[in-house]
Amino acid sequence: MSPDDVMIVVITGLLSTACALLGSFLVLRRQALLPDAVSHAVLPGIVLIFLLTGERASLATVLGATAFGVACVAGFDWLRRTGIVGSDAALALVFPALFSMGILLISRFASGAHIDLDSAIFGDVTFAPLRTIEIAGADVPRSLVITGGATLATVLLVTLLWRPLQASTFDPDFAELGGLRGRLVNQVLLVAVAGLAVVAFDSVGAILVITFFVMPASTARLLVRRVGTMLVVAVAVGWLSAFGGQRAAVTFDTSIPGTIGLTAGALFLLALLFAPRKGLLTRRLTRLRQPQ
Amino acid sequence: MIGWLLDALPLSYPDAVVVVGTAVVGFVAGALGPLAVLRQRSMFGDAMSHGTLAGVAVAFLVTGAKVPEVLLLGATISAALAAFAMIALERTGRLRPDAAIGVVLSVSLTLGIVLLTHIAGSGNSEQAGLNSYLLGQAAGLTERDIVLALALGAAALAVLLVGFRLVRSATFDPGFTSVAGVPTWAVDAASTGLLALAVVLGVRTVGAILMVALLVAPVVTARQLTKRLSTLVPLSGAVGAACGAVGGVLSGRAELPAGPVIVLLATAVAVLSVTFAPRRGIVARMRRRRTRVAR
Repeated sequence: MSPDDVMIVVITGLLSTACALLGSFLVLRRQALLPDAVSHAVLPGIVLIFLLTGERASLATVLGATAFGVACVAGFDWLRRTGIVGSDAALALVFPALFSMGILLISRFASGAHIDLDSAIFGDVTFAPLRTIEIAGADVPRSLVITGGATLATVLLVTLLWRPLQASTFDPDFAELGGLRGRLVNQVLLVAVAGLAVVAFDSVGAILVITFFVMPASTARLLVRRVGTMLVVAVAVGWLSAFGGQRAAVTFDTSIPGTIGLTAGALFLLALLFAPRKGLLTRRLTRLRQPQ
Repeated sequence: MIGWLLDALPLSYPDAVVVVGTAVVGFVAGALGPLAVLRQRSMFGDAMSHGTLAGVAVAFLVTGAKVPEVLLLGATISAALAAFAMIALERTGRLRPDAAIGVVLSVSLTLGIVLLTHIAGSGNSEQAGLNSYLLGQAAGLTERDIVLALALGAAALAVLLVGFRLVRSATFDPGFTSVAGVPTWAVDAASTGLLALAVVLGVRTVGAILMVALLVAPVVTARQLTKRLSTLVPLSGAVGAACGAVGGVLSGRAELPAGPVIVLLATAVAVLSVTFAPRRGIVARMRRRRTRVAR
């Protein structure tokens, strides 16, 4: 593996760590599709910043995108808590509207400028090692710094809020009444998801956002029963997908996010079929082995 | 075939084509939407629309040219495959709907990306613009598109009408339905097949990604106004058709893409309905609570 290859695995691996941690809680709370919605909803933010400053990949872009990501989760949370529409319908109402605003802004004011929807949707980790910034005299890839920071912040957040997060996930009423601030924790989690999704969006592209938030957590959910172990397994699955996907992309000369997603899909399928006790094939085999 | 309808409208011919096309898609999506929304599968359309990418890519790889009908067929097949994968995952009983949708979405999207990367590297000059195929362009609609949409939409509504009682009991009481001897997986498969059809119908007009909103927003609007499924389906279809037609006219006047305008319109109507609907609306609920406290 060349240094660039190692760098790509490290960047995607770090990102998958952060996403797997938050994603596990989202899967347990039945909100696994939130990151996907956020990754569409940030479009107007990116376009607005471009119209105001003429820049497409600056700190301002990330801030603008985050603002709309937070707007998306806030709108979702408000609609959901009215109790009038289900949580799935609330999400399906909010993000297409924001995405539409983005497309309208582009076609109205920026049709000549190259805001490729492609590069918004197909953003790529392949060139991440080449975009460097200087820190203490050494050239460090920008994505490495950003994802490293985001991962550190996520680990810190989950450690600090461990008890309230667990309680509000499994028993929201208890979390509220037991003085664990369930509502507040919920909002912190949603904002953290929006922020992390934007960071991921910026450094590895939108495709890997949904993959890293959903796949490792769902795979881990199939394998283990405790939250703590689930987080550990999810992180391991994330790193395994990052490594396997990068190797496969080099071997077959194709898109890195694509192969990482497919590797994660393969791992999920393995877990679905062969998980101890509960796997689809495992169950069948045990039944065959012990005839009634 | 539908020339008389286009002539009867007080609009120029191209405008009339767009308006009729978007109204038809709006009606079909609105009428089929309850199949998704009432079963907590609102985001089904999201995964199916991302799934169409792989089908478009495969269809292009097989034929080597951009024939609209072939690409649409590919999109339909892969959207249906994605839908069946979601149902199968849900039926294993090991994943909740949201996670099942997320898994299928992620895998089908990445598969599409890998295929498109392969196509881009193959040096076929026809491939340009394949990925923007999913964004939709109502202005490019022709009379033939509308006839196709009308035929497919009518077929879908006929299936829904014939199987209405089954769909109703499978939606509200899946346990009873399966105990009563109805193979629920067949109802499930049929209703997701219809949803896949609706998503693909919308690909040409509002774009695949925005179809999610067109499947959900009219249903949310109509659900605020009625309790009965037999009223909900036509009412939501009517709301969808109205949003489609008005959005089509507005976008033509303002020279904007039709899809986003229609989606914003439908979302605005849904939010208004959630807020102000009699009885179930937020305002009505608050007023009721206040009178109760006052007493």
